[in-house]
Amino acid sequence: MNIPEYIASGILESYVMGAVSDQERREVNCLSSIYPEVQQELDQLSLSIENYALLHSVEPPAELKSKIMAQLTFEKAAEPIIRPMPVDMSIDRPTFKTTWIVAASIGLLLLAFSFYLLSQLRTNQDTVAQLQSSNSVLQKEVSQLKDNQSESEQALALFRQHGTRTLELKGNEKAPNGDMLVFWNAKTRQVAVEVRSLPHLNPDQQYQLWSLVGGKPVDAGVFDAGDTTKLLQQLNRPIDRADAFAVTVEKRGGSPSPTLSTLLAMTTVDA
Amino acid sequence: MKRQSSLVSESVLIEKLTRRDEQAFHWLYDQYSPALYGVVLRIVRDDEHAQDLVQDIFVKIWKNLDAYDASKGRLFTWMLNVARNTAIDALRARKTQPSQTNAIRTDEENVHIVDRQHNTEQPNPEHIGIKDVVSQLRPERRQLIDLVYFGGYTHEEAADELNLPLGTVKTRIRAALQELKQLFKS
Repeated sequence: MNIPEYIASGILESYVMGAVSDQERREVNCLSSIYPEVQQELDQLSLSIENYALLHSVEPPAELKSKIMAQLTFEKAAEPIIRPMPVDMSIDRPTFKTTWIVAASIGLLLLAFSFYLLSQLRTNQDTVAQLQSSNSVLQKEVSQLKDNQSESEQALALFRQHGTRTLELKGNEKAPNGDMLVFWNAKTRQVAVEVRSLPHLNPDQQYQLWSLVGGKPVDAGVFDAGDTTKLLQQLNRPIDRADAFAVTVEKRGGSPSPTLSTLLAMTTVDA
Repeated sequence: MKRQSSLVSESVLIEKLTRRDEQAFHWLYDQYSPALYGVVLRIVRDDEHAQDLVQDIFVKIWKNLDAYDASKGRLFTWMLNVARNTAIDALRARKTQPSQTNAIRTDEENVHIVDRQHNTEQPNPEHIGIKDVVSQLRPERRQLIDLVYFGGYTHEEAADELNLPLGTVKTRIRAALQELKQLFKS
């Protein structure tokens, strides 16, 4: 086919004017898709007729648009654009929520843990106080035991000393159950007593031991008799000679001479 | 020119139109409704009828967008053809309606149609601008374009109407379009 001749034939002009038969239209469509020069000429002619049509433009009444739109269905294009926004927000929200929940949980855990620590601390403080009190009790007991031990050691030392005598004094009719021991060493001049059983005295009274030398009483010291009295009471009077020992009840602190009316017990010292 | 601004955006517009995007319709309508309404008005010569037809045309365009093939021509060309064909079909249906007994269009009727079309004054002030370009077009060429393009006349009908040989009509149509092409080029 001679293309320039076809273009010059005027069929393309009639085509854009809409004045061709169906067969001619198909022919132009076919050739324009094969030959670029046909398509090019067709495009230029189409543009010319478009421009010509545009020259006749008339603004339609304003209400025409809404009348047309009422008859059309639109794809809601605006929504898919807007939708992701709330989706994004809702993505953000749980994250924020989770963070908040985690933070709150950690806070609660810390609070619970601190309460636990506080209770532990109180328990420990109680335990420490208990331990301290029991410790002081033990220390008291230990010191008591130490005292007892030193007494016992003193007693033992006294007993071990050569020449220590043990004398038993029995109560007379004024003290029928009276029973006590006197330990005496003439060489070291030490005297001690062990009260086994003697009547209780008034607070202002004390027992006083006397050593009798040639019929004369010599003060050998005062001692107590009661629940609190020590097992062995060392007396602080040096006694180097004694024919006998006697016990009287005197005023607290002792008397220079014995009150014979209160004599409770007496024993002689074997030569 | 109004035409140039729409050239750039046409491919974007088509992409949106195939999705039946509402915004794209606004664009399409705002850009092309004056041209389509103008063409339809020029064909049917009746405001109310033209408005009804423009409604039908836009609905048709909207429903048949998938039939539009961008490789075969521009969107506006396609829309113009839809508008023109719809309006001419409606015009013919109207013309044949009163003389239903005589379905074949007579020469007498044709003369009447043409008289009606061409004796009517240009009704729209917007058409003043046409004079600048179209006044340069030879009157006999412009007459033929109007008869064929806006009147929907076939070559034979135009030849009969203008009392010209068929060959002259064909030559004159080609000459008119070529002149139009040159006018818009400059």
